[in-house]
Amino acid sequence: MDRRLNEVPHGERLTLQFEGGDVTACAGESVAVALFASGENVLSRSIKYHRPRGFFCLAGHCGACLMRIDGKPNVRACKTPAKEGMRVERQNAFPTGAFDVLGAADFFFPKGMDHHTMMTSPRALNAVLNKVVRQLGGLGKLPDLPTPQERTVELPRPRTKHVDVVVVGGGPAGLGCATECARAGKKTLLVDEQDRVGGSLLAHPQHGVRAANEALAAALKAGVEVLSSSTVLAWYPEDAPKAGAEPGLLAVHTPDGLLKLTASRYVYATGSYDQNAIFTDNDRPGVLPARAVGRLLVRFGVRPAKKPVVVGDGPYAKALTDALAKTGATVTRIDGHAEQITQANGRSWVRSVQTSKQRTIKCDLVAVAALPAPASELPRQHGVPVAFTDRLGGFHCQVDEDGRSPVPHVFACGDVTGFGGIDDAISAGARCGRAVVASFSGNGVGKSA
Amino acid sequence: MSTKAIVCRCEDVTLADIQHTLEIGYRTVEEVKRYTGLGTGPCEGKECMAQAARLCLMALRTDGPDKNDAVVEPFTSRPPVQPAPLGIFARGDEEP
Ligand code: FES
Repeated sequence: MDRRLNEVPHGERLTLQFEGGDVTACAGESVAVALFASGENVLSRSIKYHRPRGFFCLAGHCGACLMRIDGKPNVRACKTPAKEGMRVERQNAFPTGAFDVLGAADFFFPKGMDHHTMMTSPRALNAVLNKVVRQLGGLGKLPDLPTPQERTVELPRPRTKHVDVVVVGGGPAGLGCATECARAGKKTLLVDEQDRVGGSLLAHPQHGVRAANEALAAALKAGVEVLSSSTVLAWYPEDAPKAGAEPGLLAVHTPDGLLKLTASRYVYATGSYDQNAIFTDNDRPGVLPARAVGRLLVRFGVRPAKKPVVVGDGPYAKALTDALAKTGATVTRIDGHAEQITQANGRSWVRSVQTSKQRTIKCDLVAVAALPAPASELPRQHGVPVAFTDRLGGFHCQVDEDGRSPVPHVFACGDVTGFGGIDDAISAGARCGRAVVASFSGNGVGKSA
Repeated sequence: MSTKAIVCRCEDVTLADIQHTLEIGYRTVEEVKRYTGLGTGPCEGKECMAQAARLCLMALRTDGPDKNDAVVEPFTSRPPVQPAPLGIFARGDEEP
């Protein structure tokens, strides 16, 4: 099976080794996308009940796609670019992902396993249950022994860097903000964890690859330095990049090792995380967030399904429904309010859903357009206050209209300040960029040191 | 296969687990995390924390009118926010 759309250009063909067989991938695809595009569905089993699990967010944010890749366990298949000859295996399944006898845990504990009561049982029984839990739990197996070459590999040295402005997140808000700063002559670094910059633009049928490329080109032209495939891991307030320097740094995991990054201004444009709806067996593979379905279609040119169900009534759900229909799919949209999904059916992949209006809809994919949750962990570490607002998706940064936070030199813009979608993010990013620039001349909160 | 509504995909925490936690009186996201293990897997709460907060808030509102403007707090955000290989931290010395 090949789900790649013919009318879209794909990268050069590669071959992955997937559990003894060959699977075709195209350059530019992640392992998860390559497997899906080639018709492989189940990626692993869940940790406790060994339920079948496929990828979910396709953005490196959920952990549903952990696989053993080239002998290393717990690698995110959706963040690993496919390479010729890569060895890819399912993990957490015995004997295979497709047929897992440990799945009995799900059957024997229909009401769930309460680790608390297991621990308070009589001692002997406790020991036995501990063994059971050990066998059932855990993520993956130890990595293969290093080859002689790997054993002599030098660990990368940490590097340090200082810029005027660092923008964390290369979606619509971050790209716009960084461009404004660089245009004003500020030395600006944009850090993005994906291998391709663009964030949610790359999941939106009306924006897509072209819009992402244009925004990136504008940023580069303005002089923004772009660091992609690089994840900001933490804000460390007490660590100084060098002896004697002022404490406080961002730790960045780059392809070349650790970067200790400091800046005169910090902007968090970290976007939002995709969420699921709560219904029975909502973890069935094939139940995906709408933006993951959008990424498959828009960024990767892969046909997500023949009979998808889209859940949601917002503009994104509508745009995705139209785009799916254009691939020739028969799309059913339900609004998620008046009619909700109550149950997903199917074993290793979703085959139908039941709704609150007692309908059973046959399908081969469910795209849930639930409100994404602001990705506020890093600004929280940096002291930015957050509040929980249901209609904004979760814990969002509390900043003023222009993205100034109460913490000097720290800004936030886009979905991390409350989910608003792409158009809001574009304007918020530009406003925030102007506020950052103004702050250097003393017009804004937090004067330059 | 038995039926479960999953809130935390990483740790297989179900809606029923969280409802049980709320029934025995816990009301904060931190307590739900500690009691059920929610948010302690590889995604570190990116998919479940907002849901847990929503459920805590609903439980607080049913506790009585004095809880109508109760607030919920996130659990502490600790480094690293994404899993990373320890090797990148292992060398203390910097490039000259
Ligand atoms: S982390 Fe890979 S699918 Fe979510």
